[in-house]
Amino acid sequence: MSEARAPTEGRRVSRGEVLRRFMVRPEAPALVFLAVLVAAFSLSSDKFLSGTNFESIVISVAVLGIIALAVNQVVLCGEIDISTGSMMGLCAVAAGAVALSTGGLILPLLAAVAVGALCGAINGLLVTAGRIPSIIVTLGMLYALRGVILLVTGGTWITGVPNEARVLGTGTVLGVGYPVIILFALFLVMELVSRHSTWGRNVFAVGGNRRAARFAGLPIDRVRVLAFTLVGVFVGIASVIYMGRAGSVQTNTGTGLELQVVAAVVIGGTSISGGRGSSLAALTGAVLIGVILNGLVLLGVPGIWQQAVLGALILLAVATDVLRRRLVEGKA
Amino acid sequence: MSAAAAVLRRLTFSREVVLLGVLIVLMIVMSILSPFFLTVNNLLNTSRFFVEVGLMSLGMTLIIITGGIDLSVGSNLGLSSVAIGFSFAAGLPLPLAIVLGLVVGTAAGLFNGLFITLLDLHPLVVTLGTFALFQGLAYGATGAEAVSDFPGWFAYFGQAYLGPVPGQLFIFIVAVVMVWLILSRSRFGRYVYAIGNNEEAARFSGVPIRRVKIAIYSGIGLLVGMAAVIYTSRVYTARGDSGLGLELDVISAVVLGGASIYGGSGTIAGTVLGVLIIATLRNGLTLAGVPSTWVLFVLGVLLLVAVFFNEFFRVKEE
Amino acid sequence: MPVKESKMHRKGGRNVSTRQMWGFKGVRALLLMALILIAASCGVGQQAQQGGGGGGGPTKICMMPKLVGIPYFNAAEKGAKEAAEQLDIQLVYDGPTEAKAALQSQMIEQWIQQQCSAITVAANDPNALAPAMKKAGDAGIKTGAWDADVAQDARDVFVNQATFEAIGYKMVDLMAEQTGGKGKFLVVTGSLTAPNQVAWLKYMRERMKEKYPEMSIASVQPGEEDLQKGIDITKNYLQANPDTAGVFGITSVALPGAAEAVKQIGRQGEVAVTGLSTPNEMKPYVNAGVVEKFALWNTVDLGYLAVYVANAQVEGNLPKSGTFKAGRLGKVKMLAPDEVLLGPPVVFSKENIDQYDF
Repeated sequence: MSEARAPTEGRRVSRGEVLRRFMVRPEAPALVFLAVLVAAFSLSSDKFLSGTNFESIVISVAVLGIIALAVNQVVLCGEIDISTGSMMGLCAVAAGAVALSTGGLILPLLAAVAVGALCGAINGLLVTAGRIPSIIVTLGMLYALRGVILLVTGGTWITGVPNEARVLGTGTVLGVGYPVIILFALFLVMELVSRHSTWGRNVFAVGGNRRAARFAGLPIDRVRVLAFTLVGVFVGIASVIYMGRAGSVQTNTGTGLELQVVAAVVIGGTSISGGRGSSLAALTGAVLIGVILNGLVLLGVPGIWQQAVLGALILLAVATDVLRRRLVEGKA
Repeated sequence: MSAAAAVLRRLTFSREVVLLGVLIVLMIVMSILSPFFLTVNNLLNTSRFFVEVGLMSLGMTLIIITGGIDLSVGSNLGLSSVAIGFSFAAGLPLPLAIVLGLVVGTAAGLFNGLFITLLDLHPLVVTLGTFALFQGLAYGATGAEAVSDFPGWFAYFGQAYLGPVPGQLFIFIVAVVMVWLILSRSRFGRYVYAIGNNEEAARFSGVPIRRVKIAIYSGIGLLVGMAAVIYTSRVYTARGDSGLGLELDVISAVVLGGASIYGGSGTIAGTVLGVLIIATLRNGLTLAGVPSTWVLFVLGVLLLVAVFFNEFFRVKEE
Repeated sequence: MPVKESKMHRKGGRNVSTRQMWGFKGVRALLLMALILIAASCGVGQQAQQGGGGGGGPTKICMMPKLVGIPYFNAAEKGAKEAAEQLDIQLVYDGPTEAKAALQSQMIEQWIQQQCSAITVAANDPNALAPAMKKAGDAGIKTGAWDADVAQDARDVFVNQATFEAIGYKMVDLMAEQTGGKGKFLVVTGSLTAPNQVAWLKYMRERMKEKYPEMSIASVQPGEEDLQKGIDITKNYLQANPDTAGVFGITSVALPGAAEAVKQIGRQGEVAVTGLSTPNEMKPYVNAGVVEKFALWNTVDLGYLAVYVANAQVEGNLPKSGTFKAGRLGKVKMLAPDEVLLGPPVVFSKENIDQYDF
């Protein structure tokens, strides 16, 4: 029997204890790594910490971060979603098409969110009612949706998106870009929902121990379907930001995004087996990826090495997570 | 129940027979869609394209039976391919370059196996990382260039024929038989199933879990290396992005063949049928003039439908 | 060995009899499958060894772009379809969904079975496609390339849109007009290895050296045919090198990306942007003044010409020199016995861009 730690002994908590409590958090390694990297990059390149550069980092990861926040929930309940790249492409096409025909911002946004929610719901239903493992469902959807994009657009791009529909990507409020605002707003929302709502807590339970959750009477199917649908909604929002920034929608929009999203979630500290993690982990992971990719360009590392760096990072992240757990939670 | 009815019942519920039926129906449909499909030439020609996926699917079957997965096989193929091509271009004699390709493929698989077992990590996330890492290494080390200058005899791996039959088909058949023997006739094979069914129980029964896992991930690495040799020979080019995306075909084939993604069941026969079904679809649709974009969509839907029916039949059986 | 000794086997944790282990599931399925395949190959129609060759049956031109799903090749398809209709022949226009030579060569090999009269391809890699194209040639199919050539001995004719030299020189000339013939420039390309892009770069450098010695290419970055990537690369570069005089976007994806980037950082008019792309993508930027002029060739016409050339190959009346009459294009020049030239590059600007729709 392991000894239960009793941090409530006495009101005075030693600094070592605070440190240990911080290190136990799943996001700890990622946050530390982020701090170290920011320091290292700003020392080696004076352009790194300039205001515009930092903002451009966050803007470029806004799309990634928003989707990662939602996929984080899916991973927390023990599933996975690797269809987000194609989903984003389809939502962007929907948004672009509506923007070209009716203009405005609300309608394209609604279209994108609706398409996303539909795809997400399909994912969720196939996983729960169809009893198909989520890796397979989302793998199949990744292919199928990419095909749908090509079929629906006939291969033509959507270009010349009117400026009003691009506000979420290019507009600013008080000098801060919309993508940044939306990212942090959604982060706060997810933090609240994840910790304080029934659904949010159920997600942790389902991911931590599905059998126990089932026996406890939790609606595991509904919890998961909601998680997948939420991914669709967030992907829809992110796609409008993307469309705003790019100004057109290519047929291969979003290709490869799914890997970066899962990488962000995992690198940030959420456990792939479910039940452990946080929205802060997803956000940290996304920012970390953005910082690294930006730093590489500033350092003059050829873009060709990006994939290798991404892969090495994922491996490093999961390895340090295991080592951290062994050290801190104690094989003592 | 009479003996005949019992036999019939067992036949209809055998996953492999159902798949066989699907394959036959598919071939009939394809031959209706295009008169060129059901010809000796075409069928043999198609077999040239599925050998690489087929070899990797054999290894993937064992991995999926243990409840694991390997997303890095496609990138590994690219890495092994450039190992062959670029070492040859750098002066290494081609036979040695080929061996190097096999070594690189196996080493990459070994890397996966060690990472997964020693650190007790989930195969999904490890192979997701190596998927990016291997591809990145292949690209970065070669500067996204390609090597296409091989001596004539190198084509034998991927483009030779024994009579009308493509050479690599024989390699594939031999590999199928060998892996099948390992899986269904040896103690190792039983270990694989045991781990998939209940890893804890297997551990207590004395199954050397770590060694088995390292073996299967290295094993698929070797198969990837072989596939890389054949692939590079067939397309006559060594490029870093070779094989990218093949992991989807491989996993689809294994899952289509009846293996449960949760582990514990799966057969080589099923996997081979899965490979054939996917190859038939790809080839048949292209011959029928169906645009590539439709093929993409169909394959995605197929995977979903296949697994759905898989689970449907599995429940019925139990 | 335990397996041989006992009559009971353990399979998947259950005890199964030998019959179950060997019988229905494994061997039988394989045997049945083998039987079916043998029956199929013996019984059903044996078609002739060669898959193609003209004569007998309507002309079928099989045309393959580098990939499907980008506007450039959609435009070529438009022209190709127009030509096929005029000539009253069958056209199959298809390609992989990714710009990969391996996927192309696989499709070509499948097409050989489909009895195409001619196969013409825009190659992602000139050497990788050579074996497949040679096989097509051996099967009696007329072979050709368009837009991006394959190895010379692997095809009978190449339909070239414009010489590499003309394109490279034209882009530099356009940039020199806008920047007074001097400065440091960024080039955003597709991939660092695409042969045509590499060739254009070579002639661009040559032109600069000869005619505009004060112009130089400071950096070449690959946008990998990804719009967002192109935008980000250009933005990052311009922010890190603010004294850049202009940006060349030399693919139909790189140029709109570069233009968008310059627009987003608000430096239009200061940083010149030119290169190659399709008019529809560039209309917003030309009208907004971000891009003054850019070049291309008429892609629709290229597709049109490629079909005409392939048809002439099938009918056996492609000339070896001089000119060749290609439908509404009139007389088109033969650069060599195996190369047809579409014509000089077209320069697009505010004045004429609305006349084009591709």
